[in-house]
Amino acid sequence: MLTMRDSIRCLHVLLAAMALFFPLLFSPPARAEAQTVTVGVYENAPKVFTAESGKPAGIFIDIIEHIAKTEGWELHYVHGTWGEGLSRLEKGEIDLMPDVAYTAEREKVYSFHRIPVLNGWSQVYARKGSGIQSFLDLNGKRVVALEQTIQLETFRRLASNFALKITLIPVPDYKTGFQMIADGRADAGVTNRFYGLMNGRKYGLEDTPVMFDPAPFFFAAHKGLNQPLLDAIDRDLAALKKDPKSAYYASMGRWTTEEVQFKLPVWLDVLGLVLGVALITSLAGAVLLKSQVKARTRQLEKINNDLTESEQRYRHLFEHNPAPMLIYQRGTLEMLAVNDAFVNHYGYSREAALSFLLTDLYPDEEKEKIATMAAGLKGLAYVGEWHHRKADGSIMTIMVRSHDIEYWGYDARIAVISDVTEMKQMEDQLRNVNETLDNKVRERTAQLEQKNLELEGVNEKLKELDQLKSMFIASMSHELRTPLNSIIGFTGILLQGLAGTLNDEQRKQLSMVKGSSQHLLELITDIIDLSKIEAGKITLTIEPFDLAALTRDIVESFRVTADRKSLKLIVEGSERLRIESDMRRIRQVLVNLVGNAVKFTDEGEVRIAIGTDADSAVVAVRDSGPGIKAEDMSKLFQYFSQITSADLPKHEGTGLGLYISRKLMILLGGGIQVESEFGRGSTFAVSVPLQREERA
Amino acid sequence: MKKILIVEDNEKNMYLISFIIGTMGHQVVQAKTGEEGVALAVAERPDLILMDIQLPGIDGLETTKRIREEGITAVPIIAVTSFAMSGDRERLLAAGCNGYIEKPIDPGTIKDEIGAFL
Repeated sequence: MLTMRDSIRCLHVLLAAMALFFPLLFSPPARAEAQTVTVGVYENAPKVFTAESGKPAGIFIDIIEHIAKTEGWELHYVHGTWGEGLSRLEKGEIDLMPDVAYTAEREKVYSFHRIPVLNGWSQVYARKGSGIQSFLDLNGKRVVALEQTIQLETFRRLASNFALKITLIPVPDYKTGFQMIADGRADAGVTNRFYGLMNGRKYGLEDTPVMFDPAPFFFAAHKGLNQPLLDAIDRDLAALKKDPKSAYYASMGRWTTEEVQFKLPVWLDVLGLVLGVALITSLAGAVLLKSQVKARTRQLEKINNDLTESEQRYRHLFEHNPAPMLIYQRGTLEMLAVNDAFVNHYGYSREAALSFLLTDLYPDEEKEKIATMAAGLKGLAYVGEWHHRKADGSIMTIMVRSHDIEYWGYDARIAVISDVTEMKQMEDQLRNVNETLDNKVRERTAQLEQKNLELEGVNEKLKELDQLKSMFIASMSHELRTPLNSIIGFTGILLQGLAGTLNDEQRKQLSMVKGSSQHLLELITDIIDLSKIEAGKITLTIEPFDLAALTRDIVESFRVTADRKSLKLIVEGSERLRIESDMRRIRQVLVNLVGNAVKFTDEGEVRIAIGTDADSAVVAVRDSGPGIKAEDMSKLFQYFSQITSADLPKHEGTGLGLYISRKLMILLGGGIQVESEFGRGSTFAVSVPLQREERA
Repeated sequence: MKKILIVEDNEKNMYLISFIIGTMGHQVVQAKTGEEGVALAVAERPDLILMDIQLPGIDGLETTKRIREEGITAVPIIAVTSFAMSGDRERLLAAGCNGYIEKPIDPGTIKDEIGAFL
């Protein structure tokens, strides 16, 4: 089956070559300047091989040398294996590779000229007496074949078609293959008729009746670059083949008859078996011929069947294709065929559809355009978007793919139609949604940009306000305190009787003035501290001092108040504890803690313990006061929070003391810990690091 | 009876301090600015100076420095500062002050402090 098809294609190639060849006869002669042409050489005597002299030889070499002489080319040869040659050709390292069988696959990679240099076929060779008479006899055998060849591929396919288990051994050259058969490492080998004819006997091999794959052989060129070379080869080959006395026929004769015509070995002659051999040969020839005729007949029948089957397959493909399809005659635009899907989808009866012109399917505004378009589509595949009218009058958007077809002798075009109406509608909707979204995004972006601008403005204003706040605090710290200082100062003078004696009521009321003024001053001072801490503007003055002495000093200042409430005020622990910190801030914190303890404890004691733990100085203030409920502990260090309870009397305070104290202790690298049990008392412990960390 | 120079810009504070010192039986010399303070310190040769630190124009620290530069080194100068400033003890001592009193002024404190230097 393959042989037949290949022969037909070969004929096509020849015809095409002829068509090309005639006008070439009248084209100007080859260019005069010497052109270097690089040709690959591999070992496949007698077609192409390296002679003992080291020079390339063989049929292809004879021919290309002749052409080179005619064309004025300078030839360079690059020796290698078949595979190397092909890969060099593909990379463009060589211009021509000889002895390349044409295939459609190869034409994608290489360019071919059109007139074959020679026709050959593949044949199986085996050791003498192998008994291989047909393809089936190769079952279970090891067969060598040249790697990267059509031969190998065809043989593999044949083997699989016949479901034969053949071990295929690819070899780089025929010589290796033949040697392997001779050595018994393989049972048979596929080779071309030329090589077998010339070399089989050397290895003690003989041809078997297994022949296949006749093929035309060409020079192949690097794809796309060497068209002038190929044209020249065709031109010269045509001339060579026309003249029976040309170098072409001389070479064929030389390589396939003169030298290859083997002489009978001496021992055969001696044994006088010449006749016997001739007889066996002719008998075998007759058998072979008969079987070949039978095989050919079977193949023709099969081809016929194949054609019928193939036509049915294509008809089925058209008729039952789920996509609507139509065929129209080019020129007249008459409809020639429509398939079932077309009838179903469009709603026209087949008869109606076949009475249409192609343009009848199109809405008025597209009729002229499609007629012009259809006229210009010869030889081109086409894809386009159009509109078709259905039988119910509705218009659908279609995507059409069309290409040329020959239909019952008509020059026609087949079109495959996809109804994309819904898709189009969805696309439109999507586009609308997209546009709406785009607009919204743009609008929103503009709004956000505006907002950003506004925010920048607000930010600027906030910065200004913050500046103003800082200035306000700085100025307030002085301005608020000055009159208060005055009030407190004069109240003090009056209370001390420096300006005259006071009666008891006057003393009592003035004490209230002084108390309230002092409270107000504390409040102002706390608020200023708070602002400074929040703004990070507090400055610390670190100096060495005795924490124990400071603590005792502070405790003493509360002695009078404690005595008045009959509270025991006890100091215990270290007598001397030198640390480096901000003394005034530590004082502020301790005053707050001791003050709170004295203020909130009505009976019992306030006990102050001075000491150290691992790396801190610790002053713990423990009282026997009301204690703090577990749920109130978290509020303890919030600002403006005073824990109130129905059980507790309301105490005067700023609500800022503990908050500021904790912030200050954190700034100083220490902290405040609280333990309390409601109803039993509280312990506030201040810790200050013994070793001050150096600040960078 | 000793002569005490008070440098203080605030009228009420001036009156307050002067009153307390008056009850102690000392003579008071009043200066309302730093420059006036330096001039009176040179002219009057007081036995003690009470120096407000937050003065308009040249402040109390600068005034103290200038007085010391006039060669008046033996006269004790007691700084009168607001609570917020009192942390800068080092600065006060470096400028030439001998002690300090925090506002609000307590008559007892001021008497004790002056008593300690005279």
